[in-house]
Amino acid sequence: MKVILHDLKGNMTDILEEKADKVIFADGKYAPCQGCFKCWTKHPATCAMTDSLHEICRVLGQADEFTIITENCYGGYSPDVKRVLDRGIGISTPMSTYRGGMMHHTLRYGKHEILQVFVYGDITEKEKETWKLMVKANSLNDGYSSYAVSFVSESELKEGAVL
Amino acid sequence: MKTVFVDCSPKKRLSASGFIAAVTKCFVIGKKVQCKLITPNDYKTTLDEIRDADVVVFSMPLYVDGVPSHILPFLKEMEVDYRDIHADKRIYVIANNGFIEGRQNEPLMQTMENFCIRAGLTFCGGLGIGGGVMMNVMRIMICVVFGLTLLQMAANGFDPVILKDFGTDVLTILILSCGIISFDIWLAYCINKGKEYGIHYTRIMLPSFVFILCADLFFTIISLFHGGVFRGWFARKKPQNCIIGKEEKQ
Repeated sequence: MKVILHDLKGNMTDILEEKADKVIFADGKYAPCQGCFKCWTKHPATCAMTDSLHEICRVLGQADEFTIITENCYGGYSPDVKRVLDRGIGISTPMSTYRGGMMHHTLRYGKHEILQVFVYGDITEKEKETWKLMVKANSLNDGYSSYAVSFVSESELKEGAVL
Repeated sequence: MKTVFVDCSPKKRLSASGFIAAVTKCFVIGKKVQCKLITPNDYKTTLDEIRDADVVVFSMPLYVDGVPSHILPFLKEMEVDYRDIHADKRIYVIANNGFIEGRQNEPLMQTMENFCIRAGLTFCGGLGIGGGVMMNVMRIMICVVFGLTLLQMAANGFDPVILKDFGTDVLTILILSCGIISFDIWLAYCINKGKEYGIHYTRIMLPSFVFILCADLFFTIISLFHGGVFRGWFARKKPQNCIIGKEEKQ
């Protein structure tokens, strides 16, 4: 299953749906993670908050291919995209293991194939380096076999040329 | 010198970030203020405190390898306030994560440095802590043990053995936290002297496999208490009523 998470304005979901099984528009109309860990300890794989991200980790868990389209924010995800990712930690379990020589949580949904991140917006060379580190860490954390990060313009993304 | 400590945890109380900020505060001289950043309602108070501050210390948990999402809009607002005025403010960062390796905070640390560059503020370095959750649990435990020690002494009278047991517990915690405490005091020294700290990573002083066992035991107990163990603890649950993504089409 291919899942796309994006923060592109202008009703892009319809266009992106032709390229994926599930498209998530990060519109920011949901609460940020409260750090309660109840998606691990109380009602596994379900967020305690009952807004549109209530079951987001279950959707992310289904993704063999996960594509994120985000505006750059200091070398990391835009606030609206980051909220979705923060709320999705139920994709793993509270138990820990070693992955890539470091401690990580075990994966509720097993290994995934590829994490692809397309970054648009004003970006410096230093921020690009942070992005490479960030996506590598995300890929290891969430159990993706491979990852890629690309820096593109918003217009390229809206024309659909890069996906 | 005025130093503002910004507790970036979304938790209202007993946050590890707030605790580490409070510990650092003990070693910093001059006027000190600690602010909490949970909702956008906290932005104005925090920005007002930062306005006449010389130093800002962000203390935050690591969320999905980066800055927690509720902090990012605040950083953007702060960037708008400062990017054109070249304010003489020094920024330090304390990051803590639930894994044992402090180095896992590296993307967060770089993100905060990038923020400082864009906002025209001076990034003076940061401390990345591994095992922050355990440190937080230990400080709660020591308060409980202290209470129990007092109760025991009230019931049985002064007993050196009870006091010795309590002393041993405190010493154990100090040994496990010695890396964090040392790096924290060094950070406070740099804040006081106006020096650059650089970026350093430390951790709870336990072998990682022991830490993993402790973390697994901790989450097992909490999950038993919360009932998650009986609700498909490791189950690969499928979406049943996920509405995300549908709003835009309606």
